[in-house]
Amino acid sequence: MKRLAISKKTKAILGGIAFPIVLTGLWQLFIFAGFSSARFLPPPFKVFQKFVILFSDPAYSQHIAVSLQRVMIGFFIGTLAGFLFGLLMGLSKTAEKIFAPFFHAVRQVPMIGWIPLIIMWFGMNELPRVLIISVAAFYPITLNTFSGVRNVPREYLELASVYGFKGLTLIKKIIIPAALPSIATGISLGLAMSWSVLMVAEIFIQTAFGVGTQIQKGRDRFDIALVIAGIITVGVLGYAMTVLVQKIVQAVERGRVISTEK
Amino acid sequence: MPNNKGTLEIRSLSKSFIVDNNSLQILNDINLTVHSGAFVTIVGSSGCGKTTLLRIMLGLENHYTGEALIDGKQIIGPGSDRGIVFQDHRLLPWLTVGENVAFGLDKLKRKEKKLLVDEHLKLVGLNGFESAYPSQLSGGMAQRVAIARALASKPEILLLDEPLGALDALTRMYMQQELERLWLLEKITMIMVTHDIDEAIYLSDKVVIMSSRPGVIKKIIDVPLSRPRNRASSDFTRIKAEILEEFHLGTEYPFAYAI
Ligand SMILES: Nc1ncnc2c1ncn2[C@@H]1O[C@H](COP(=O)(O)OP(=O)(O)OP(=O)(O)O)[C@@H](O)[C@H]1O
Ligand SMILES: [Mg+2]
Repeated sequence: MKRLAISKKTKAILGGIAFPIVLTGLWQLFIFAGFSSARFLPPPFKVFQKFVILFSDPAYSQHIAVSLQRVMIGFFIGTLAGFLFGLLMGLSKTAEKIFAPFFHAVRQVPMIGWIPLIIMWFGMNELPRVLIISVAAFYPITLNTFSGVRNVPREYLELASVYGFKGLTLIKKIIIPAALPSIATGISLGLAMSWSVLMVAEIFIQTAFGVGTQIQKGRDRFDIALVIAGIITVGVLGYAMTVLVQKIVQAVERGRVISTEK
Repeated sequence: MPNNKGTLEIRSLSKSFIVDNNSLQILNDINLTVHSGAFVTIVGSSGCGKTTLLRIMLGLENHYTGEALIDGKQIIGPGSDRGIVFQDHRLLPWLTVGENVAFGLDKLKRKEKKLLVDEHLKLVGLNGFESAYPSQLSGGMAQRVAIARALASKPEILLLDEPLGALDALTRMYMQQELERLWLLEKITMIMVTHDIDEAIYLSDKVVIMSSRPGVIKKIIDVPLSRPRNRASSDFTRIKAEILEEFHLGTEYPFAYAI
């Protein structure tokens, strides 16, 4: 039984890396065929070499650490704010009427549209970078918390009223647990959004540290291998975070996390 | 009567729902008194308003004409004096069986809670299942958990909406005996909707027969048999025939109840 489970997992991993390997092969063929000069598209080996160089220098890990920390802080703030705001609009029709039109209008402005204003207000600082990341997480978390709270089945609300649960008890015992799958979806979308605007934050609001900074450096030096290495780093790390969050979400949905009694 | 709490009275009650801007009358001039400690069942074809009537007794429906009283006081909203087993079991999927049974026991200490949960799970034959999740139960098991949950908060009036509907015939008969035993033990008022006429006769002091469009009480039949009842006795079959008779007259589906 156990051996079967492991082999299944291995199979999944092999399946997942098969396509990147094929892609790398095609890339190599492309170069062998002479379609592209090494200046515009270095061979895979060059990029691999770049990775070895990057990771043997502790500075690169520090760039990664700074980016991860930046995303985590921004994402945390955005999650908290989005959860509270979504809860408020979900619970109160009045709050929805007041805030929803404004929220939906503001949401239409792409992140990059805020950059000039944010730079003029805050300068090239850490604060605006984190702010952009948290706002990116804020939107999907607000929306999904809102719809989760609004769509709590009427049956559960009736059950709560039969047992006389109101206010905070009602929120704690029925509304949040019932909305949790939707909130969890919002959180994983939020994380993906945070991670993808990280590049916007790091490239447009210049800074000495971060993976985005490395990509920008590669562009400045016309070092395509460095740019590609940076992009792959961002993709792999983003994917790892998504998988991690999915695992947490699955655990939550199984009811384990919240059903542990105090 | 051993105690006088839990007498329910419905007086000239009518109820309409607004459907597509039209007022649709669901219940018409319902008059019913359920004395404290009585066991009353309600039978009637699907859609005749049985669930609606229970919801009014529970306090979930508040727009109607006429009166709904408990111990002489107007029902305004649900209260801890009444418990319900909904037609759908309505267990919370994110709580374990044990936590579902403890759902209404917020005010109790942990130890007392555990005691009540254990006692009531045992009562419905589900001891050992407290850490299972509702999704891991069969429909019948889920209904039994719902019964345990309703009983655990010790209501004076227990409303049951087809609580045994999802059970197999044997478990169903066992649960009927258990319900009767509980009712005798706890001396609470029980009002139960069922589609099973044998079940109604086996359990109740009175069988309320409803007919549809709009829902009216057609007849209330007393069941003056001693307990425990013998389902094969001639009195039992006579009452059954009397009830079936009611369904032949004036319903669109004369054979719906000839089970
Ligand atoms: N909230 C509502 N809005 C509009 N109509 C409703 C509503 N609730 C119930 N009804 C209607 O009232 C009628 C009675 O419904 P009810 O659920 O009380 O029937 P029932 O006797 O319990 O039926 P069943 O045996 O199938 O459970 C039905 O025709 C139903 O469509
Ligand atoms: Mg019903």
